[in-house]
Amino acid sequence: MESLIQLENIVKSYRSTTALNNVNLDIQPGITGLLGPNGAGKSTLIKIILGLIRVTEGSGTVLGCRLYRDGRSIRNKIGYMPEDDCYIPGMTGIEVVQFAGTLSGIPTIEALRRGHEILDFCGVKQERYRNIETYSTGMRQKIKFAASIVHDPEFLILDEPTSGLDPEEREALLNRIKILSTQNNKSVVLSTHILPDVQQICDQVVILARGQIRLNDRLEVLNQTTSPTVTVRFEGDRAEFVSRLKRARLEAKEIPGSDALQIEGSTNDLTAQVWKAAGLANVAIHSLVPARNSLEEIFMQTVKEASVAHS
Amino acid sequence: MPIHDLGYRPWKGTLLGAVSRTRGIAAAGIRLIGKNRWLRRVMIVAWLPVLYWGIAFFFVGQTLEQPVQKQLPQAIKQVEAAVEAATGESIGSEQTILQLDRKAAADRIHNMFHWIPRVHLLTRAVRNAEDDVQARNYIWAWLLMSFFRYSQAVLILMIVGFVAPSLVSQDLRSRAYLLYFSRPIGRLEYIVGKLAVPAAYIMFVSTFPALMLYFFAILMSPSIDVFWTTWDIPLRISLSTIVLILPTTSLALMLSSLTEESRYASFAWFATWVLGHGAWLAILVGEAIRQGLQPRNAAVADSEMVKMWSPLSFYNNLGDVQSWIFGFQSFSEIMPAFFVLTGITVISFAILFRRVAAPLRA
Repeated sequence: MESLIQLENIVKSYRSTTALNNVNLDIQPGITGLLGPNGAGKSTLIKIILGLIRVTEGSGTVLGCRLYRDGRSIRNKIGYMPEDDCYIPGMTGIEVVQFAGTLSGIPTIEALRRGHEILDFCGVKQERYRNIETYSTGMRQKIKFAASIVHDPEFLILDEPTSGLDPEEREALLNRIKILSTQNNKSVVLSTHILPDVQQICDQVVILARGQIRLNDRLEVLNQTTSPTVTVRFEGDRAEFVSRLKRARLEAKEIPGSDALQIEGSTNDLTAQVWKAAGLANVAIHSLVPARNSLEEIFMQTVKEASVAHS
Repeated sequence: MPIHDLGYRPWKGTLLGAVSRTRGIAAAGIRLIGKNRWLRRVMIVAWLPVLYWGIAFFFVGQTLEQPVQKQLPQAIKQVEAAVEAATGESIGSEQTILQLDRKAAADRIHNMFHWIPRVHLLTRAVRNAEDDVQARNYIWAWLLMSFFRYSQAVLILMIVGFVAPSLVSQDLRSRAYLLYFSRPIGRLEYIVGKLAVPAAYIMFVSTFPALMLYFFAILMSPSIDVFWTTWDIPLRISLSTIVLILPTTSLALMLSSLTEESRYASFAWFATWVLGHGAWLAILVGEAIRQGLQPRNAAVADSEMVKMWSPLSFYNNLGDVQSWIFGFQSFSEIMPAFFVLTGITVISFAILFRRVAAPLRA
């Protein structure tokens, strides 16, 4: 599969501070979650991808265009939704989206038509005719999202798109992103701190910490445990069940804050072995689901390792 | 769900180029600024001087462009008619005063506009004019120059002070620069688009009324053919507008780019004008006291001391360069003013270019 973004040995320094240090990145089509603690260099990386700032060292391509040198071509193909509030006071919601379309090169009247179409898609109703200063944070998020897709870009960079949204709106926005990706072949980079968002819609995860890419892999690979593991909820004699599992050479671990057990084995017939042990221990299994690595744990572990490596 | 909601549909059109994007920035700025009620009032007031200058053109036309005979009182005309009937010779003239006696025409002009500064530039030019065509050119050019300099300059100062300070500072405060620069827009398009906003308002209160006055003067002339001898005046009006727009808008936008608070930029804009002109006025008054003359006396304005410090005043510099454009001063006379305005424009653009992209580098 052809890479959308390919960065090689990117270094970006601001006087004495190195924001990005030897970054190599390969982003494939689909939805990519860009994670990292505050100050990790995410915003700098996004600015470099957009061709807004020069790199100190290194090279790369974005959608087949050279970094910075082809900045305009890159920005022609990208829709960017910034994390910060950015609006022009005095404009209504529809005017902001229309203006965004005009700035991207859509003829004025067509930009108005397109703006209405996109606001319909984003679930903005009659509020579109109100001044943007009167909007709630969630409404402004929707307008920013609409402005970023009005010109039908092939690639989207969304910076904290769900911050400030209530659960229902968050779900709706994630659904819209999913629709853009699956039904309209848009690729998306989702920069966020909200890990469940990434878990819910992303195909690839990139973790950036202390100016370096610490992890870059497909989410399904990251979620896989090293050996077959299942999480079991049951009712019956807990000690007897654990004893039976040990005899079958399976390792049972308590899950903190839960009465379930995480059972790890070395063979692929783990499920059958668990059922057999349960039968012998006379316990009733309520649920048995394959366990997966939690993204939160992966993130924390990666950031911790980056800190240790730095110190 | 809205009844027209079609979900997400790809957009199949062709994106326009940089010019349309720049035009979009300008149009949005003009529309937004135009919502300001106070600005709309100032714009209406800014058109009032057109009436005054229109009347001036009318009287000049009636006094200098009509045949001398038509201007004589009825009693003298009756005497003339009687003499003509008796002798068979006409003693009246179908010629205008500009054709007959340019010195007398210059005196009449001086009497009509003696209270307007720099009228001596016009009377000198009319006296020395080779023919009535050139004299007419000088008169029209001077009237239009005075329109720019004595009524519109102050209004333009106010309008730019209303319009420009918020243009960049507001984008910095509301982070709207992200909306612009995350799209295929460079600093040049952004700056040109923003410059076009005050430029449009300046043109609305200076260029358009000046052109209107010019066409009014043509209509008031004895013949429409006057257009062929005064065709250069619209060009001078356009050039004068450019001289007015470039240094003023670039300076105002530069001040706007230095702060997120547009009121500070506004204050700096008015302070630049008031302090510069105030300092020059203080020198002028000092020189008048030293010479024992009135400050309005042309000898005071022409003294070496006052001329040397004249470039302190933005207003003087604009006026000097405009009087060169309208043909009343030579380039060597206005060279300091020209270089001061050029310097202000270049430095303002350099700072503006750096400042508008500064937040992106942070």
